[in-house]
Formats: sequence, structure tokens, C-alpha cells
Amino acid sequence: MSFLLPKLTSKKEVDQAIQSTAEKVLVLRFGRDEDPVCLQLDDILSKTSSDLSKMAAIYLVDVDRTPVYTHYFDISYIPSTVFFFNGQHMKVDYGSPDHTKFVGSFKTKQDFIDLIEVIYRGAMRGKLIVQSPIDPKNIPKYDLLYQDI
Amino acid sequence: MAPAQRCPLCRQTFFCGRGHVYSRKHQRTLKAALERLLPQVEAARKAVRAAQVERYVPEHERRCWCLCCGCEVRKHLSHGNLTVLYGGLLEHLASPEHKKATNRFWWENKAEFQMKEKFLISPQDYARFKKSMVKGLDNYEEKEDEVIKEMAAQIREVEHSRQELVRSVLEPQPVPDPEEGSSALGSWKGTNSLVASASQQPSYLDLPPAPELDWMETGQPLTFIGHQDTPGIGNIHSGATPPWMVQDEEYSSVNQQIGPSYEEFLKEKEKQKLKKLPPDRVGANFDHSSSTSIGWLPSFGRVWNNGRRWQSRHQFKSEAAARNKQSHKKSQSFPDTFSSQQTHT
Repeated sequence: MSFLLPKLTSKKEVDQAIQSTAEKVLVLRFGRDEDPVCLQLDDILSKTSSDLSKMAAIYLVDVDRTPVYTHYFDISYIPSTVFFFNGQHMKVDYGSPDHTKFVGSFKTKQDFIDLIEVIYRGAMRGKLIVQSPIDPKNIPKYDLLYQDI
Repeated sequence: MAPAQRCPLCRQTFFCGRGHVYSRKHQRTLKAALERLLPQVEAARKAVRAAQVERYVPEHERRCWCLCCGCEVRKHLSHGNLTVLYGGLLEHLASPEHKKATNRFWWENKAEFQMKEKFLISPQDYARFKKSMVKGLDNYEEKEDEVIKEMAAQIREVEHSRQELVRSVLEPQPVPDPEEGSSALGSWKGTNSLVASASQQPSYLDLPPAPELDWMETGQPLTFIGHQDTPGIGNIHSGATPPWMVQDEEYSSVNQQIGPSYEEFLKEKEKQKLKKLPPDRVGANFDHSSSTSIGWLPSFGRVWNNGRRWQSRHQFKSEAAARNKQSHKKSQSFPDTFSSQQTHT
């Protein structure tokens, strides 16, 4: 599944993807290709990528290859999905403690499609943070540690 | 506390009961409102004596607000093409409902008693106004007739002067040619429909040919700039290629295409699409083509901070610097411990 989606392997490539994606939501999945939850997420991403081709561009990023971004985006659980629009990071309130990224996998393809649509519409209106349409039951739970407290 | 009541004059709610009417603010508002209304009524009163009738103009649709009745009243009365100035207002002021409303208004707002008379028009005044209106209408009709007569006289004058001019131009003419007469006559008749008398027809014929001959003979002589005759190079008569079709050496090497290329056309199409997008979307002014340095980081709002987005980048950079310094120090101290271990074993 993950071989169907384009991969970014260096900071430069990620920079280029963020810079060059115009008027579309940029989806960056941070994780490892072999991890089981990542595999689930990649499955959903690849199956929906063609339907969302006009609204979103999806890329996979290996956390081991881009340590700069792993630190910058504060990625402590994988998979983590970060959303950008026109070079600007989009925050989403999922009901979880971290609004800057989506941690874990989506339950259904429709959840992901709905989320992308909400982000796109919010971005078109000029909003930098949007409210997630996904049912809170379907959001994966995790504990967010603040500097190992 | 008295119940809440609304004073429509001050446009305010008050709780003082009947005391509000005697307050300074209310009296001030009342005075201002009456002052606004007074000039209108005075102008209408003047019109009672000498009613004016005018031609209808859209400005006559103006309405005036009657403070006492609380309604809008047409200021001027218009019928068809004519208007009687201040007719509507006078009609309203003379009506009995207005009298009742004015009395009520004075009693409720405790205004000055003497002022009340100024805002009323008695029925006798109104009758007087009607009489003067009839007179005014007659005057207006007379005036209109006069104006029309004047305009007719003007038109007649202009016609007369034109005819005289035509006659004066045609007087100094030689004996006409009968042959030329038949062809020129048709065209001349078409252009000048005024003249109908048969005796004047032959004198018109010479007007087209005579001036032409004069102009050709008495014109300025032309400047001569030499024979344009070089034996080697051809010209238009010999059939040489025109100068704008001759290929220049540098230009011929480049692919000659007029207008934008295909890629430029596609880019234009993209730009058109961009224009349709909402202008206040996120990152509308983001320059996609700008080159970034190695240390570039995107605008990211971090999890635990609550400042602006660029602050998170700033924080990350300072943290990264601190981390690099730490790792540098560690790598320096590590070889020492390693070597000491080795010697131990």
C-alpha cells in the first residue's frame, strides 16, 4: 500500500513539498513503513488519494530519515499526520490534547475524507484552526507527555 | 419606581414617570425638533398669499415629516405636468386631524403655549390659498404661452438668416452650362430641400465645378526631393521583397513564434483559476517559487506553546542550538572515558 504513495526521504524534499503544493491541502504522514498502525493508515491514505486528488496531496515521510522534522513537529507517537495549506500549518481540534497533528490511524476512509474537506474549507475561509468532524469515539487515545513528566 | 416608558421625541426609555417631560434634556430635544419644523411651516405660510405654480420636476416628490401627527406628508402638490409649491403641506396643516394631534403633542410634551399657534393653519387661510392657487395657475399658463411664442420667433429668425445667406452666396455667378445642369441638379436638389423656386435652379449648377478649378491653379508648389533610383536595390514597381518581410540574421536563428508559448498559456490558465479562489484563504500570498535555505522551517504552531506561530520556530531554533552544543560537548568527553576503560582491562 505504501508503495502507491510518494515518499519523501530528506528535509530538502519535505521543504520542497511544503513550498510547492499550491491551493491544496498537504498531508504528511510521519511514521515507519513496517509499523502495523502505519500500515493501516497508509492503506486508507492510498485508497482515498485519487478521490481527494483535487483537494489534497499526500506524502509519506520516514521519521528516521528526517530527524529535524521529527523534533520540530514534536513527533513522539507514530503514525502522526500533519496538515499544511499553502505553506501554512493547519491545526485541527480532534478532542485530543494535541491539535497540531493527528496521532494514530483513522477508523474509516470516510473519516479521513471528511477531515480533509473540513480542513480545505477552513483554509479557503482563512482559518488556521478547524474543528474535526470525526466522532470522538473513533479518535485514537494516547497520553501526551510533557518533557517526560 | 415608575414603570418603564418610552419617549418618542428623545428616543429613550425613562423611569421617572411624568417627570421626564419637565427635564432639561427633554425640553432641549423638543426645542430642537420644533426649530427644525418651523422653517417648513413658515415657508408654507408665505405660499398662502402668493401661490406659485411650476413645471413638474422629480424634486417635487419630496416629503416632509410632521412631528405632531408622526407621519410623512407630501410637501408639494403635483398633478400631471404642474406642481403647486407647498400645496400638500398646507393641506395637511389645515386639516382637523392635524389640529387635534398638535394639541395633544403640546399637552403631552409640555411645550410652550405661544408656539402652538405658529404651527397651525386656519381653514380661512386655506381658502385664501386656494384662491391664490387658481390665480397662480392662470399666470403659469400665460407664461407658458409667452415662452412658446418667443421660441417660435427665434426659429423664424434663424430660418430667415439661413435663407439670406444662401441667396447671397449664389448671387455672383456666371451664365450656367445647360449640360452640366441636368446631372448636378439632381444631387443639389437632394441636399437642399429649402429652395423650391424654379428661377433659382440654374444658378446652383456652377457651385461644384467652379471652386475646384480655382483650388488646383492657385495651390502652393510641391517640394522636390530627388529621384529615388538606386540601380542595385529593387522597389515596389520591380517586385522586390518588402522591408518588413526581410529576415534579420539574429532573429532567424530563434524559433519565430508570435505570441505566448504553450507553457505560458497554461500558466495563464492557472492564474485565471487562482483569481477565482477566495482572496482571504490561508496562505494566499505565499510565494511558492521562492527558494529556501537549508535551515528553513515551515510555520508550525507547537503543542505546548501559546504565543504566535513564528515564536515556536524561534524556540525550536534556540533549542536545536542548545542540543547541538550539548552533543558536541558529550562527543568530546566520551573518548577520554573510553580510553581509561581500556587501560583498566
